[in-house]
Amino acid sequence: MVKEIERVGIPVVHICTVVPISLTVGANRIVPAIAIPHPLGNPSLTMEEEKVIRRTLLGKAIKALSTEVDGQTVFED
Amino acid sequence: MKLELGYIYINDIKFSDLSKVENGTLYVNKEEIEAMILEDENVKSVKVEIAKPGESIRITPVKDVIEPRVKVEGPGGIFPGIISKVETVGMGKTNVLKGSAVVTTGKIVGFQEGIIDMAGVGAEYTPFSKLNNLVLACEPVDGIEAHEHEKSVRMAGLKTSTYLGKLAKDIKPDEVETFETLSIVDSIKKYPELPKVAYVQMLQSQGLLHDTYVYGVDAKRTLSTLINPTELMDGAIISGNCVSACDKNTTYHHLNNPVVHDLFEKHGKEINFVGIIITNENVYLADKERSSNWTAKLAEQIGLDGVIISQEGFGNPDTDLIMNCKKIEEKGIKTVIITDEYAGRDGASQSLADADEKADAVVTGGNANELIELKPMDKIIGDIMPVNTIAGGFDGSLKEDGSIVVELQAITGATNELGFNKLTAKEY
Repeated sequence: MVKEIERVGIPVVHICTVVPISLTVGANRIVPAIAIPHPLGNPSLTMEEEKVIRRTLLGKAIKALSTEVDGQTVFED
Repeated sequence: MKLELGYIYINDIKFSDLSKVENGTLYVNKEEIEAMILEDENVKSVKVEIAKPGESIRITPVKDVIEPRVKVEGPGGIFPGIISKVETVGMGKTNVLKGSAVVTTGKIVGFQEGIIDMAGVGAEYTPFSKLNNLVLACEPVDGIEAHEHEKSVRMAGLKTSTYLGKLAKDIKPDEVETFETLSIVDSIKKYPELPKVAYVQMLQSQGLLHDTYVYGVDAKRTLSTLINPTELMDGAIISGNCVSACDKNTTYHHLNNPVVHDLFEKHGKEINFVGIIITNENVYLADKERSSNWTAKLAEQIGLDGVIISQEGFGNPDTDLIMNCKKIEEKGIKTVIITDEYAGRDGASQSLADADEKADAVVTGGNANELIELKPMDKIIGDIMPVNTIAGGFDGSLKEDGSIVVELQAITGATNELGFNKLTAKEY
């Protein structure tokens, strides 16, 4: 899906736990997620703490979306 | 570490007033088994049934398959840390009721469980159709949590298998096979010219009903470590998995791991089989990195020349597999990986979710997406309704006449990644 959307000229950020798979399938902007069963949250935390995680990841993804990349890039921080 | 496996061949299974093994027949007192399982307050009811090779019986949803064994001599007991005390096993003598198994079924625990047909075309795809099975259909009490349900059914299978195994404690085996692993230093002294080969066994440990236990420890909480091959034969590793049926390792697979048996076969002739590294398949990327780092580090530390890696399950564990392969190869150690494929119903799609050019020696257990039609059976043990929703099934899988169209994924053991089956594929 990442590749097909990019093919029509729309940049895509792939928020993904298993970064190596994202790299193998060819995503260009990758934001590492939390874990496979809960990519954007963490059930062991409180709702407030989870909200911080979600907001941070989303912020990171929006920043990645507006960043020019030269090939596959993993946005660690 | 040396273990003698004594095989007592079982050709028939019958209900009887007295549980015993006599002249190759396993006699089972049904009431005793029922009473033992109902000691667990989370089990509401249990039906104990028999399923023999060639009978028109469909067992589904299958959770686990277990081979009855008993310790005859040496420390510890079968299933250490779970049924027996946490004593190191793998030494002395163990008797095996070869040709029999305990199969657990009943109300579905997770959505990924399997089918065993005892006859017809489906029977060809599962090794468990060839066994004299004692089937436990367990129903949990109302309102139970899925993880408690899983544990109850898991324990019912292990307890029953232990009960049956004990019947063979004083019986002289029909055949004895001996397995011995020396210390690494001694084995190198004994076979200085042979390449040092180990087996890296990946254990399904994603959590949420996808778990494996080693000496009672949940594998997702472990670091990659060394284990003796004979420890597996005494039940050091057991399945707590409700994962896709075709390529999960049941407890039966762990007890009879064909990679271990084949490596022993070549040991001292073509290779020096020095031991096993077990590692997990977790859901955090950091865990995947850490576990594969440790696997590669251990492989280097014990000075290996070659490694066989087997995967369990598919999807994100493909990454664990490729990480293990790549990192071990980077240490200058040759690898062969054993996996299976999800290549689409026509076999044309990419087979694994991850890949690397270092993974250039691959053995496959077959394509799990291939469709198969299973004709109706006279008898169903368990519950037929989940067939539409188990992994490999789909809405409409179950036809009105009782026949089923499913992907091989739904058949227990069909594309097993230890090679415990007949399916494979070759590239020309």
